[in-house]
Order: sequence, then C-alpha cells, then structure tokens
Amino acid sequence: MSGICRNRLMEERKQWRKDHPYGFYARPQKSADGSLDLMRWECGIPGKEGTAWDGGLFKCILIFTDDYPVAPPKCQFTPPLFHPNIFPSGTVCLSILNADKGWKPAITIKQILLGVQGLLDEPNNDDPAQTEAYQMYRKNIDQYQAKIRVQAQKFANTN
Amino acid sequence: MRTTEQLTRIFGAEAAARVSTARLLVVGAGGIGCELLKDLCMAGFQRIEAVDLDTIDLSNLNRQFLFQRRHIKRPKSEVAIQAIRDFNPGIDAHARQANIKEATFDVDWFAQFDLVLNALDNLEARRHVNTMCLAAHVPLVESGTAGYLGQVTVIRGGETECFECHPKPIERKTYPICTIRSTPSAPIHCIVWAKNYLFAQLFGERLEEDEDMTAEADADNLEELKQLREESMALARLADAMGSPEFARVVFDKVFSFDIARLLSMPDMWKHRQMPTQLDYEELESASAGSDFDPSSPNTHSHLSLADAFALFKFTAGRLAQRLVLREWETRGSLSFDKDDEDALNFVAATASLRSYVFGIDQTSIFETKAMAGNIIPAIATTNAVVAGMMVTQAIMVVSGQVARCHTAYVSYNSKRPRSVLSEPLAGPNPLCAVCRRRYLTLRVADLTRTTLGDVVDYLHMLAETENSLSLGEDISVVEGSRILYDLDFEDNMAKSMEELGLGRGKMITVAREDLSDIEELPVAATVPVVLSIAGPRVADGALDLDIEGFGTIPEFAPLPPPRPEEAAPSGDQLHFADDDVAVVVDDSDSEVLGSSNHAENVDNISDELAKRKLSDFGIRGGKAAKRRAVATDDEATISD
Repeated sequence: MSGICRNRLMEERKQWRKDHPYGFYARPQKSADGSLDLMRWECGIPGKEGTAWDGGLFKCILIFTDDYPVAPPKCQFTPPLFHPNIFPSGTVCLSILNADKGWKPAITIKQILLGVQGLLDEPNNDDPAQTEAYQMYRKNIDQYQAKIRVQAQKFANTN
Repeated sequence: MRTTEQLTRIFGAEAAARVSTARLLVVGAGGIGCELLKDLCMAGFQRIEAVDLDTIDLSNLNRQFLFQRRHIKRPKSEVAIQAIRDFNPGIDAHARQANIKEATFDVDWFAQFDLVLNALDNLEARRHVNTMCLAAHVPLVESGTAGYLGQVTVIRGGETECFECHPKPIERKTYPICTIRSTPSAPIHCIVWAKNYLFAQLFGERLEEDEDMTAEADADNLEELKQLREESMALARLADAMGSPEFARVVFDKVFSFDIARLLSMPDMWKHRQMPTQLDYEELESASAGSDFDPSSPNTHSHLSLADAFALFKFTAGRLAQRLVLREWETRGSLSFDKDDEDALNFVAATASLRSYVFGIDQTSIFETKAMAGNIIPAIATTNAVVAGMMVTQAIMVVSGQVARCHTAYVSYNSKRPRSVLSEPLAGPNPLCAVCRRRYLTLRVADLTRTTLGDVVDYLHMLAETENSLSLGEDISVVEGSRILYDLDFEDNMAKSMEELGLGRGKMITVAREDLSDIEELPVAATVPVVLSIAGPRVADGALDLDIEGFGTIPEFAPLPPPRPEEAAPSGDQLHFADDDVAVVVDDSDSEVLGSSNHAENVDNISDELAKRKLSDFGIRGGKAAKRRAVATDDEATISD
C-alpha cells in the first residue's frame, strides 16, 4: 500500500482517539487474521437530536483505497437505509465524498461522518439515489418523516 | 577499449573504472527496459541482473527491439539478457522471471546491488522498489514514459526527493457512482457504465455482497430491505434469461427503457440537466432491419448510428450469452472484460453508444472506446530510447559517487519549442514524507515460528535502555501494510508468532510513537517512525534470536517546519452538498486543524508550486499534469487494432 495512505490513516486514528464527536464511533475493522484493517473502518452515526433520526445509531463502513487521501473513501450503510441520497446498496451519494465535486484531501474522517449525519435529515433532492425514499420525501413529507422515525427506532442506540 | 576511453574523457577515470565493477539491478525488461539494457551494455557496464514478470507478446515487438517474433511467449528478462550477452559475450548478466515484490527479493537481496534502475509500468511496483531501496540504502534511478512525455530522476534516501515525497495523481480514474448510474455527462461515463456495471452484472461473477447485508437485518425490516435489494439485483437476475431468444430484449427493456423511465420520474434531477430519452426496442428493430450494417464486422473508426448500435448490441449480447451458456451452464461460468475480446469490446461499445444517445452525449467510435475502456496510452519507442539514454548517464554519475551532479530530466513535446529535453537539479526530500522520512532498520529473526509479536515489542522497549535507543516512548503501534497488528488498546496478537501473523522475510513493519504528546516538543529522532525490514539471521549458527541492525545508516533528519496557518484546512461551512439549493452546513464549533490534514494540504501546495515552477518556465502547457502523468503511467500500453 502507499505510505502516504497508511500514514494518513494512522494519523486519523490517533486524532479520533484524541477527540471525536459525542455518540459517534469509528474504528478499523477486525480482519479474519486477527489484525485491524486500516482500509475499512466501522463507524456509527447517531441521528441528530430533535430530528426524525434522533435515537437511532446508523452503522456504516468507510472503505478507503490506496489513492486516499487524493481520492475520497466510499461510505456505505450496512444495512442500507431508507433515504433519498443513499443507493439501494447502502452507498452514500454526497458531494464531499465525490472526487469531482467537494472532496479535498484535507477533509478528516470526523468531518465526513458529521457531513453524513447532516445529510440524514437534510436530503438533497437534486441527486436522488433511490426512488422510493425520494418520491415519498417529495410527495408526502409526513409519511416520510413517520417512516424515518420507525427506521430510527429499528436502529435504536442501545448504549 | 574504446568505450572505456570515451567514458574516461567524459566522466573521468574513476567513473570509467566503477562502471565496469558496479552491480546493477534493472527492474523491468519492457519498453524502457530493452533500451536500457542495451545502453548499459554498450556503455560498458559489466554486471547486470534483470527482473521481469512478463512474457513477450506480439504487441511488444513494435518497440521492444531486443525481441523478435520467434521469442513470443518467452520470458522478457531471459530474452533481453541473452540479447545483451550477444552484444558483449564477456558480460556478467543474469535474468529472473519473477515479480519484484516476491519475498525472496528482501532487503538483503537489494543490498547486494550498487544501483537499482526502475523501468516499470505501474505505480505499485515503483512504490515497492522505492521503499526497498530506501530500506537497503541503495540509490535508485527512476523512469517513466507516456506517449511523447518522459522523465528520469535519481533517488537516494535522506538526500533527494523519493518517489513518494509528493502524492501522485490517481492512476486509474474512478467515477462517482451517481454519475455512472444516473447522470452521465461524458462519453467515458457511458463506457464505464457499459463495462463495469452492465457487462459485469450480466456476464461477470455474481456479487455476494448483498447477501451479507440481509444477514444483518432483523425480522421487521426484512420487507423493506428486500425491496432495496431487488432494485440492485434486478439486473443480475436478467442474466437468468441468458440463452433464451428473449435475452437481448429483456436487457434492452430494462436498461434503456424501464431504468430511464424511473430516472425520468424524478423531475428534480433534471432541473439543471438535459433529460434522457427512452429507447424503444420495436422501433429500433424495424429501423435496423433495412440497414446493410454487418454487426460481425463493424467499422471501428466511425460513429455508430442509433440503429447500428442497436444491431451491434443485439448481435454481441447473443454471442456473449451463447459463449456463457455453452460453457458449463450449471456452474455458470463468467466473463471478465478484455479489450482484445471482440465480442466484449463491441458489446461495451454498442451499449455505451446507446446510452450516449439516451443522454444526448457525444458518440465515440469503437476504436476510441477501446482506448478509453482499456486505459490505453500510446507507447512511443523514441521516448523510451531517449529516457533510457538519460538513465545511463545518471547511472554512471551515481556509481562514480557524483550524485550531486545528477539531474531530474524530462522529455517533453511542444511544437513551439526547439528543445525537447529539459533538466533541473535533484530536489531535496520532503520533510513530511511518509516514506523516506523513516528510520529504516533490519530486523533479523532466527525462528519465525517461535518469535512472537510480543517478543519484538519487548525487544523494542528494551532498546530504550541501550545506546541504540529508538526513543519512541512506551506507547507504540506496529503496522504491516494496511494491517494494524498492535497498539495501545489492541494487544490481541502479542502471543502470536511472526509466522502466524504473516510476518516473513521481505515484509516490513512500521513502528510509530502513539502517545498524544505534541510532536513539536519532542526531539526529532523521537518523532520519526521506524521501519523494520524482516530478514533472516546473519549466521546460521549462534545467531541471536532477535536482532536489529542498521543504526549506523540512519540519515540525519531536519526538524519539521512549523505547521502552516489554518487557511489550508476546510472549515465546516465549506462542506456543501451536491448542488446549491440544499447546503448542509456542519457545525464548525469544534473543528480543529489536524497535523496530518494540514500537512497533506501543505504537501500538495508545495508540490503544485514546484511543478508549476519547474515546467511553466519552459513554456509547457499543463506542466504539472504532464509531469505527473509521466511518472504515473504505463509505458507498456499500446494501441493496436
């Protein structure tokens, strides 16, 4: 792997350990061989207080490539979420995770996760990634909000 | 001998003497490698080892002049070495057909050479050799070409910029999934869609990924998940129709009609974009019926008309399905895209063309599609020859101890300028480099099955009491490749043996200080991570179980420059989402400037400025991109039709 990538991910880990936003977690995933895989981080994003997402803890994986930090990681919710900007595979469609749009090498893992948390309650209608959530969000916001609340309960933060 | 005389006149007697005794390693015997081996031999080098993984292919013969038609399928390294032995029968030259990343090529193996010359075609191998040369303290001549552009530089740990001092541009461009799946805007988006999505889903291996996801779901959201999954699996299911006469039709209706209708049902998406047009199977069928287009031999240089693209799609979909069905239907074999597989290429060209018609995107010919889908950059023999020649002059200066006289040299192409070779003095190392700002030591382990990771960690701590102190402090992390093996709250692997952890000869582990004290307040030596190259014991009998050597070869490291002001890091309010109407502003209150991110940005700015200065002085347009591309890309690529 590239030394630049490894160095940066170790630094991200150190900084996260030093300080991270309340209710979030982010750690390299344990591999079958008993080591921790720096290229795949298991993360948890809490729903924002006072929104329909409140109370849920949404699990996602950040998948890095050798090109990181020149290229952004992929963020994938497991299992996939009901949300207009999340693909059926769980992959998040967000400008700061897009190398041609808002991604910059200086963006930290903390900033990515805060960005994705922000996206949860404020979808972007211009870039829909799944039909059902997009249509419901546009046509019946009350039904949409109710569905989001049910989803938040399903993924309730048990801690 | 004439060669020696000439060398003496140009480089001095000492250099001429060193040329005949220096041991050289040439990594790669392809486009640059063939030229280089010939030049080294003719310049009087006597001891050469060449390593190359590849065998000779017909498409190599237009520029790899040591190879002839009768050598096809034989190892490149062997044929090339035999050729230079014919030039100079007295030469001590050896060939190995092997991957340079193999474990046998460990730090001790690299250390036996006086100089390594890279004639490689990919970033990964270049990075590997760069690191091995730093670890073995051997100088490296690095090279690369891309079309008319080329460059040569010399790398010496601690003294010059190394291959990873500055980030490289992304080698193979990746595209955001939204652009590929929903909103393509350029021909390449349609080609990537056709190749990596449509072709892969229909004819490639089936993905297991989605099954893993369901396993995690609990009972009450199963229904919903099923729906989501279905949407992404629908295409793979169409593969079941393979072999039936309806196959082309169901695929067409799904991807060029149904999916487009679904996209059209989201009007907001098309507020600022051109709306796609659904295609109709029957309409195109009748349109193509009267055409004299022959889908078994399409013209590769002209654009396909909509009807011809349709006919070509139908023809190739049928052919590919037939090939798969004929192969074991039970186990369902799979195809992977190969630009030289005519059916595969024409299928991708036809579906990319159809998709371009759907989205109103410019057409590309089959030939152009092949170049784009296969990431083809033309290789030019002349550029390789010039670059190889420049490598030899650098090599002569390095082996005769004149690194200070070496240059980074570029071959450029600009019709307005008479000069095509430019050079500048070697740049110094980047003080923030994640690769060369490291203390490279050798870890000798007598018995990999008995020595545990805990033993190594204890040994490192013990060194703190001796004169060879690494000053890393109590809290350290141990990383190999992308695997964290140990850090202050991850001790699971301490009792495992080196062998169990896959830490054999040739592997490198990075040991770094993990405590959270401010790096600026520590002595320089305590902040530079240690890289341990794993090697066998020095002597078979009576060797220490565990030994670390190489303290005498650690270069002096300058202190880090003070961090730059904050403007480099993004603040929360810069985090906008895709378009302007919805912008989510992240609370900025607890944002901070991270050492690493700040540095990353720093490095980028520095290298940008450097690159601009280097090349803009010479009037080269897009200098930065040109320079970097030359480093990054493939001299092996070839256009053939």
